[in-house]
Amino acid sequence: MNKFTQQVLQSPKLQALPIMTHPGIEAIGSTVYEAVTNGHIHYQAIRYIADNFDTLACTSIMDLTVEAEAFGAKINLPENEVPSVSGRLVSDAESVAALEIPTLAKGRIPQYLLANRLAAENIKDKPVFSGCIGPFSLSGRLYDMSEIMAAIYIYPETILQLLSKCTGFLVSYCKALKATGTQGVVIAEPAAGLLSGDDCMMFSTNFVKQIVDAVQDDSFTVILHNCGNTGYCTEAMVASGARALHFGNAIDMEKVIEQCPGDVIIMGNLNPVAIFQQGTEEAVRKATRKLLEKTAGHKNFVISSGCDLPPHVPEANIRAFLETVEHYDFLCVSRVC
Amino acid sequence: MSSDFLEKLSECVEFGKINLASPYPPQMKGLPGADEITREALQAGVTPTEILNDALIVAMNKVGQKFSENKIFVPQMLLSAKAMSASMVHLKPYFASGAVQRRGIFIIGTVFGDLHDIGKNLFAMMVEGAGWEVIDLGIDVKTEKFVEAVERYPNAVVGISALLTTTMVNMKPVIEAVKSAVPGTKIIVGGAPLSAEFAVSIGADGYGKNPQEGIMLLDKISD
Ligand code: B12
Repeated sequence: MNKFTQQVLQSPKLQALPIMTHPGIEAIGSTVYEAVTNGHIHYQAIRYIADNFDTLACTSIMDLTVEAEAFGAKINLPENEVPSVSGRLVSDAESVAALEIPTLAKGRIPQYLLANRLAAENIKDKPVFSGCIGPFSLSGRLYDMSEIMAAIYIYPETILQLLSKCTGFLVSYCKALKATGTQGVVIAEPAAGLLSGDDCMMFSTNFVKQIVDAVQDDSFTVILHNCGNTGYCTEAMVASGARALHFGNAIDMEKVIEQCPGDVIIMGNLNPVAIFQQGTEEAVRKATRKLLEKTAGHKNFVISSGCDLPPHVPEANIRAFLETVEHYDFLCVSRVC
Repeated sequence: MSSDFLEKLSECVEFGKINLASPYPPQMKGLPGADEITREALQAGVTPTEILNDALIVAMNKVGQKFSENKIFVPQMLLSAKAMSASMVHLKPYFASGAVQRRGIFIIGTVFGDLHDIGKNLFAMMVEGAGWEVIDLGIDVKTEKFVEAVERYPNAVVGISALLTTTMVNMKPVIEAVKSAVPGTKIIVGGAPLSAEFAVSIGADGYGKNPQEGIMLLDKISD
């Protein structure tokens, strides 16, 4: 059985895995720009999180631009905000046909591989998860997110070709991430959540599955994250074969748990901004308890943030979250519930 | 005769049939779309006002309704909006000459700091379909850009979109600046994290949970 799945299912303790690196970047006194361009700083941020918070695992930066940049997209890199893609790289059949699958030497990819290697080599007490964007979301970043939504119907062959190229790149990137020694990868596929279940299957799952088939094994786990899913894409997410699924705050976790097999790890879904970043410590505690009550008794549930924690989340809120999980756990264990 | 054209056109827009070349929806593959039917209708003497009111607006209302009931998703709605735009291209000369009156000018943008634009684009297209001239300022729109736009079009209604809890607060300074530059300007806001109470608290004139609500607000404002 997959080691990570086993670790969660057999754990006597409730597990928490907020997706976060920004609190680490801030704590070590670096800027977002430095962390997303320098593998050593990126690693130190992951290291800070690993050393200072009692979480199930740690994750690398959820940077949804690094792969698009490798393809040649223009990127804005603000000092202290997450990077973004500007403009569109491809717009029709010709430009998609001409698009070359980049090597892993392009853009900031080498720095990301470095950060993952340093984290895997030096963080020994918990699993380290790499991260990458999903095939549909990457295609959307290259083709324009609104335009691709209509193009899947008007120019399906072009979009399928674009998806194949993106997937080809992501397979080699994920293989390289796996080779750094990390225990898995979080594939972020937010844009696929806006599709119907059938379209999500055809334009996202079929491609995510190729990545899963290429890299997932007993010691390397794919966590498929889709914060856009409001309830219509859950079946498609399960069909990807990913051993773990991660959901955003737009979905009802109770229903998700009912819909997913018991041996797939389910993660989610406290609002990263409204609760973690803007909430008071008391609001964090309350929301955490409420979610734990709703999901109680499900061994495959790991409580998490609904998405990557953005910059400027108070450390006290993260502590309030983790303490609440621990306290709830203690109450539960002592009552043998 | 004219009702025949209008019915066909309305169907094209409702189901997202843009033009002859578009293979979507599969059941209409190979048939003319909103583009061709509008051209033919105008040649046959159907008036642009009839096209706008009795085909495009009717169809987009149905689409908005289906979307708010989760019967269709973002792609289907964008296809309908594209079909509507394909029809609208043929109406533009009539708007420009004044032969057909637009309902008004609507300036829209995603507030500064925010890069989400799918919802904003959708709403903008729906508003255009409802008979407005739309000026889309794009994403990450700074206060000054909104101000410049209202100074240029002092009678316009302004729409602001935000998808992040951190950027929805940026709407307040925009509203203040716009209202002080051109007093009396009406401003509506929208985006997933907002609420009607929040809209009131920042001084907006209205909040639209979805495009349909937004368009109803615009109609109320312009009446
Ligand atoms: C797609 C997406 C992205 C894409 C955006 C692509 C694009 N070009 O728009 C990408 C990947 C780039 C992205 C980036 C980020 N995202 Co994002 N993203 C989403 C996602 C999955 C869908 C949003 C969407 O398009 N919805 C569909 C449209 C149709 O809905 P809508 O925008 O609400 O619009 C409708 C109505 O609100 C209304 N409307 C909209 N505007 C207006 C305006 C007016 C005037 C009116 C009347 C009506 C109206 O009409 C529309 C049609 O019904 C959501 C999750 C979700 N489930 O919502 C997260 C989400 C919005 N993102 C989130 C976050 C945190 C981010 C990032 C910070 C992540 C990161 N760490 O990098 C960055 C932000 C970058 C930035 N500075 O903006 C969070 C926000 C949390 C919060 N409460 O603040 C969400 C909710 C995800 C989550 N669960 O945590 N994201």
